[in-house]
Amino acid sequence: MSAAPAAASAASAGRRQYDLGFARWVYQHVEGGDKVAMCMQCGMCSGSCPIGTAMDHGPRKLFMMIRAGMKEAVLTSNTIWNCTQCYNCVVRCPRKVPVTAILQSLATVAVKEGYAPTQSTPKFSKAFWLSVARFGRTDERLVTALYYFSHGLKEGIRRALENLPIALRMIKAGRMHLGLPHRAKGAADLRAILAKAEDIERAERAGGKPS
Amino acid sequence: MSAAPAQAQAKKPGVYLCGGCGIAQATPLDALEKVASKEYKVAHCRKHDFLCGEAGVKLIRDDIAAGTVNQPVIAACSSRVNADRFRFDGAQVIRANLREQVAWTQEPGSEDAAMAAADYLRMALTEARKSSPPVAYDIAPYSERVLVVGGGISGLTAAREAAEAGYQVLLVEREAKLGGQSLAWSKRMPHLPPYREPRANDIEALVKAVESHPAIEVRRECRVVKTSGGPGKFAVELSQGGAAREEAIGAIVVATGWRPYDPNKLGHLGYGATPDVVTGVALEGMLAKGPLVRPSDGRAAKLVAFVQCAGSRDPAHLPYCSSVCCGVSIKQALQIRQSDPDSSVYIVYDELRTPGTAEEFYRAAQEAGVVFVKGKVKGVGADLTVTYDDALLGQSVPMQGLDLVVLATGMVPNATELGDSGEAAPLPPADINPLSPIPVAGYAAEAPAAQAAAPAAAATQGASLLNLQYRQGPHLPILADGFADSHFICFPYETRRSGIYACGPLRRPMDMAESAEDATGAALKAIQAIRNVVEGRGLHPRSGDLSFPKIGLTTCTKCRRCTVECPFGAIDENEQGQPVVNPSRCRRCGTCMGACPVRTISFDNYSVEMLTSMIKAVEIPDEDAEKPRVLVLACQNDAVPALDMAGIARSRLNPYVRIVPVRCLGSVSLVCVSEALSSGYDGIVLMGCKSGDDYQCHFVKGSAMAQERLQKVGETLKSMALEKERVRPMEVSIADAARLPKLLDDYLAEIDKIGPSPLKGFG
Amino acid sequence: MAGEAAESQTVLVVGGGIAGITAAVEVIETGYDVVLVEKSPTLGGRVAQLNRYFPKLCHPTCGLEINYQRLRSNPRIRVLTMATVAAVSGSRGRFGVTIETRPRHVNANCTACGDCAKAATTRVPNAYNYGLDTVPAAHLPHAMAYPMRYVLAPEVIGTPEADAIRAACKYGAIDLEEKPRRFDLAVGAIVWAAGWKPYDAAKLQSYGHGRVPNVINNVEMERLAAFTGPTGGKILRPSDGKPAKRVALIQCAGSRDHNHLPYCSRICCLGSLKHAAYVREQYADGQVDIYYIDIRAHDKLEAFYRRVAADPQVRFVKSKPASITADDAGNPVLHGEDTVSREIYDRPYDLVVLATGMEPSLAGALPAKLAVDDYGFLVPELDPGSGMFAAGVAQGPLDVSMSVQSATAAALKAIQAIRGAGGHAAAGRA
Repeated sequence: MSAAPAAASAASAGRRQYDLGFARWVYQHVEGGDKVAMCMQCGMCSGSCPIGTAMDHGPRKLFMMIRAGMKEAVLTSNTIWNCTQCYNCVVRCPRKVPVTAILQSLATVAVKEGYAPTQSTPKFSKAFWLSVARFGRTDERLVTALYYFSHGLKEGIRRALENLPIALRMIKAGRMHLGLPHRAKGAADLRAILAKAEDIERAERAGGKPS
Repeated sequence: MSAAPAQAQAKKPGVYLCGGCGIAQATPLDALEKVASKEYKVAHCRKHDFLCGEAGVKLIRDDIAAGTVNQPVIAACSSRVNADRFRFDGAQVIRANLREQVAWTQEPGSEDAAMAAADYLRMALTEARKSSPPVAYDIAPYSERVLVVGGGISGLTAAREAAEAGYQVLLVEREAKLGGQSLAWSKRMPHLPPYREPRANDIEALVKAVESHPAIEVRRECRVVKTSGGPGKFAVELSQGGAAREEAIGAIVVATGWRPYDPNKLGHLGYGATPDVVTGVALEGMLAKGPLVRPSDGRAAKLVAFVQCAGSRDPAHLPYCSSVCCGVSIKQALQIRQSDPDSSVYIVYDELRTPGTAEEFYRAAQEAGVVFVKGKVKGVGADLTVTYDDALLGQSVPMQGLDLVVLATGMVPNATELGDSGEAAPLPPADINPLSPIPVAGYAAEAPAAQAAAPAAAATQGASLLNLQYRQGPHLPILADGFADSHFICFPYETRRSGIYACGPLRRPMDMAESAEDATGAALKAIQAIRNVVEGRGLHPRSGDLSFPKIGLTTCTKCRRCTVECPFGAIDENEQGQPVVNPSRCRRCGTCMGACPVRTISFDNYSVEMLTSMIKAVEIPDEDAEKPRVLVLACQNDAVPALDMAGIARSRLNPYVRIVPVRCLGSVSLVCVSEALSSGYDGIVLMGCKSGDDYQCHFVKGSAMAQERLQKVGETLKSMALEKERVRPMEVSIADAARLPKLLDDYLAEIDKIGPSPLKGFG
Repeated sequence: MAGEAAESQTVLVVGGGIAGITAAVEVIETGYDVVLVEKSPTLGGRVAQLNRYFPKLCHPTCGLEINYQRLRSNPRIRVLTMATVAAVSGSRGRFGVTIETRPRHVNANCTACGDCAKAATTRVPNAYNYGLDTVPAAHLPHAMAYPMRYVLAPEVIGTPEADAIRAACKYGAIDLEEKPRRFDLAVGAIVWAAGWKPYDAAKLQSYGHGRVPNVINNVEMERLAAFTGPTGGKILRPSDGKPAKRVALIQCAGSRDHNHLPYCSRICCLGSLKHAAYVREQYADGQVDIYYIDIRAHDKLEAFYRRVAADPQVRFVKSKPASITADDAGNPVLHGEDTVSREIYDRPYDLVVLATGMEPSLAGALPAKLAVDDYGFLVPELDPGSGMFAAGVAQGPLDVSMSVQSATAAALKAIQAIRGAGGHAAAGRA
C-alpha cells in the first residue's frame, strides 16, 4: 500500500488549504473508500453505533474530515479502532457506504503510516493477527499473552495474574488447554493465501501515490 | 351586448316536496303544501317520497315537458347533491334544503323543525319569484387569438402549445432574439431518467419550432403599450420600432420570466472585489466557451467553490428560496469535473435542495467527486478566501487557495417592465405578508393585518407589463415578493385578471422543465377562457355561471364603489363616470352588488331585492313565543358546505337560525342587514371564510370587505336603538362542521342575554 | 390542423385525486368529454385525507368542494368509481380501454340517508382514517365523498347482515348481487394520474412502526389532526389517548434512502412543518423537534419554514435518527447523532411521526405500455404522439400546486391529441 499523502500543508494557523489529495487517496486506496464521497452526513451511522459515545468523531464526521483533507486527525482518531463491526451502520446507511470496511481499512493505513495509536485496540489487533496468521485460529493464551505483554513486562504480569482465576476456570471447563496452540487444518495453506493476498495488494496499490 | 329580456317567459313555478331521507318524519309535508298553495298561490305541488329516484325525476321532467312548470322548486336535499339529476333543460331549478338543514339537524317532528322547513320553502318560493333564468352574455365578435408576452422558454412553450391546439398565437418579445435567459445556458438540468447527466440545451430547436409555426406570429423588439377590454375582446396596443398597432386578442399568457439577482448587492460575498468571483449565470457563459479559466488572469480554474443562497433566503436580499440554484450549481460542478478531472469543486450550502428525482443528480455530483460542505458563508475576500462555519465539522476554518468562487444568485421575477438600463420599475404592493405568524396555542390570535384594499393605480403608466386600463391599476396583482402567483394551492392558475395567466418564473421560481410545463398549463387556461367567452359563461370558480351583473344606469349615482371594490377589475368607468361591466372579466361574485348603495346592480338570478325578500319571507314569531330568529348569511364556498356537513354528521343545529346562502360575503349589501334588523330578526351572522394573510376567499376579500362594511352598521344599529351584538361576522372554514353548532348556540346564548329585538312586529 | 382525425374525442383520465380531477375539469371546461376512472369508492384521493395544506393551513376540502361543483354542473363528465384500467389497446385517437369495476353493492338510487349503516352490525377498518378506527360495514367513505353514495364492505356479502342492510334501505339501493364488471371504452387520449401511496413504514425496521407504541406516520398524523379523524382532531397518543405534547417528526423516513426510496419525496419537510403547526396550535406547552437532513422548503415555501421556525418551541435537529425504542412508560425513545453538536442522544417523546415518502401507485402494475423510470414514476414525456400523458405524482413527487399545474398541462396535451394534432417533439415538460 502506498503511503497516504501528507496532510495539506497549510493546516497551520487555523487556516486550511483546501485540496482533495487525501480524500482522493482514500477514495482509491481504502477498501470501499470511493463511497466516502457519497456520504450525505445524515448521522445514521454514528447514531446507530452501539459504542457511539466511545468514539471521538464517529464515522459520519470522520468522512467529512476525510473530504476536508484532515489526514492527521483522521488517522489518529479512535473511531477507526473502536468499531466492533456490528454492521448496524452498514445495514442502515441510506447511501450504502460500507462503513465498517472503511474504518478497518483506515486502521490498517494508520498502522502502516506509523500513527502511533494511543489506545490498546491496535495492540490487540496485532496479537489477534499473529495468532490467526500463524495457527489459522485464535489461541486464547497466545492472544492474551501477546496483548498483555505488549503493554510492558510489569503490566503484562499484573494483567496475567489478575486473569488467572478465569483461566483456571476455563481449563476446568475444558475451554482452554495447556499444550501447544492447536493449528487449524490447512494453516499452511492459509499462510500461503495471506501471502498471496499481500502480494496482490502491494501490486494493486503500487503507484497509487496521489499528488 | 344583447341581454335577452329576462321576463320573456311567464314564470310557472311548481313545488316538489320530497319526503325521503327523513324529511317526512321531520316535518309534515301537508303543512308545506299549504305554504305553497295558500301563501304563495302555487297550485302545482307534488309530493314524492323518493324525488331523486327515477320516478321522482320523471315527475318533474314530465311537468316541464308538458309546459306546466318552468321553475321547479325542489324542496328536498342540499343543492350540493343531485345537481346532475335535478338538471332540466329550459327550466330554472330552485332548491330548498329540507334535508341537511332541517331533517338532519332538527328534532324530528318538533314544532321548530316544521317552522324551519316552512321558512326554507318560503325562501325558495321567494327566490323563484324574484329571479329569472340567467341569459348568457354575448360579446361577439370576439377574438380567439392568444397573446403571449415574453419569448423565453415559458413564452415559447405557451405559444407552441396553444398553436398545436389549433389557436392563432401572437408572441411578443422585447429583445431582438427569442430564447430569453435560456440562451445563456450551456447545458440544462436533467428532468428525465436517469436524472444524472446535464442535458443539451435545446432552446434553439424550440425557437425554430415557434418561428416556423404557421399559426404563430412573432414580433421581436416589441412591447405592450396598453391593454384594455377583456377576455375575447382584449385590445392590446403594441409598439414595435416606434410604430404602435392595436391587436384584437382573446386571452393573454404573461411569461416575462426572471432576471438574476443583482450581484452588485452582494459585496460581502466578494462580488466586485475581484473578477474571480462570478455569478452562476456568468459561469454558464464561461462553461460554454470551453475549459474553465479565471477571468482575472486566464489561468485554468482548478479549485472552485460555489456559494449557495447568494442573496436567496436572506431577508436583506431575497426572502424566498430560488429553487433552482442547488440544481444549477450541481450541474455546473459536474460540468467542471467532467471537463477537468484534476479540478476540485466544493459546494457550500445551508440546506441542499434537490427535491424529487433531482436527488439522483446530487448523488451523481458526489460520485463525480464534488464535495458538499454545510455552512452559511459569511464572506468572500478579495483573495477568494471563503469564510464560513462548517456545521458538520464544527469548525470555522476559512477556505483558501481557491481559483474561482461562484455565487449561486437567485431569481427575481420580471413583474414590472424593465427600463432600457435593465432596472425594473417599482413593484405594486404585495397582496399578502407571507411571513405572518402561524397561530400558536397560548398566545392571543394576532388580529389579521388589515390588508389595504387594492390601491388605485399609483404606479406610473408604462412601468407595468401590460399597462391594463383597469380601475384597479395597470399591474398584474402581485401575491408577494414580486411573484404574480395565485393564492390558492388547489388552483395555481386562479388569476385575478380574468383571461390573463402568468406562468414560469414570473409566478414562482422554477427551472426550465417546470417552466415549460407551467406554460402549457397557462396556455390551456387561456384557451379555456376563450371557450367560456364563446359560450358566455363565467370563469372559475363559478365556472359555467351564465349570470352577470347588470347596472341600472338611471338610478346609478356614479359613486364608483362598484368599480373600486370589484376584486377583478371587471367594471370600467366611461367618460361620464358611469360604470361599465365587462362581463367576460366578471367572476360573478356579486361584490359590486354588495357595494352599490342604491341597489341598482343585480344578476338575473341574484339581487339585493331577491335576498331581502327571502330574508323577509321568514316568519318571525312574536316575542311571547320565545323563539328568536337569527339570520345566517352564509358564503356558498365554505360556510354552506360546512353547514351541510354538520347535517351529514347529524349534528343538531340551533333551531332558531335561518340560513340564506350568498355567493360571497362581498355581495351582501348593508340593505340586507338593515332590512333583516327592521323585520325583527334578533341577530344576524355573516358567515364567511378566513380573511388575513392566509385568506381563503376566492373572490379575494369578501370577508374582509363585509367586516369593513359592517363598521358602518354601527350607526344604523344606534339609530335603531339596537345592540352591536346583533350583527356578528363569523369566519369559518369548510372543515368547521364540528364547531359550527356550538358557535351558533353560543351566539344564540348571547342574543338571549340581550333579549329579543325590540323591532319585532314592526317589520 | 394537420394530422389524422381522432376517432374518439373523449379523454380518459385515470385516477380521481387532485391531479385527475383537475385534468378532468380543465378538459371538460374547454369543451371536450371526459371519462374519469377512480379505483376507490370516492374521488378526492390523498388530498381528501389531508387535514390541511401547507403553507396556508387551509383545508383541502375547500378546493375539492369547488372542483366537485365544477364536475356536478358539467354534463361532459362521466365518473366511474371502484374502477380500474385493466388493459389498453390501439393508439392515439383510437384507444380501446378495458375497464374493470368492483361491486359497490349500492346503486345510483342511494340518497346517502344512512339507514343501511344503522342496520349494519359489523365494523370494518376505516380506510379514510388509514384504519385508525372502524366504520359500519355499510358506510359513506367520508363526509365529502363524491359521489355521495354509500358502499358495502365485501366482508358482509353473503351474510344475513347483508340481507338486513338491504331490507333497511327504503330506496332499493342495495344490490347484493352486483358482480365485478369488465367493459370496453373507446377514447382518444389518456391522462395517467394514478397518484401515490405512502411508503410502508413497517419496512423501516429500526423505527418500529407497528411495534413501538406511539410511532405513527405522517398520513396518520393528518387524520389525528383532522376533525373527521379518529380523535375528532385532537392530537392524542394512540396507546393511551393522552395529549401528545412532546412530538418528534422524523424526515426522510424512507426517502433519500437506497434501502427504500432513493429519491426525495419533496413534500415531507413541508408536511412536517405543518405538523409542527398542528401541535403548537393545540398545546401551549407543546414541544416539537424536527429531525432532518436538509429542510427542503423550495421557492416561496421558504416563508412557511421561517414562520414555523420562528416558534421557539419548534426545534430543528440535523440528524437522521438511527432507531426508536420504547421506554417503560410507553414513550418512544429516539436514538441518534446530532450532526451539528455531535451529541449522541436518547430522547423520549409522547409521539413520533415518521415522514414517510411517496411511492407511485402504478409501480409494478402498469396496465399499458408506459415509459417509467427506475422508481416506477411515469416519464412525463410519455412517447410524444402516443396520446398518453402523465399528471401529478404519477410522474414524480410533487406538492398539490405542482400536481395541479402538471395536470393542467396534461389536459392541454390530451386536447391536442384528440384534435388530431401530431405529437410534438417535446411534450409536457419540454
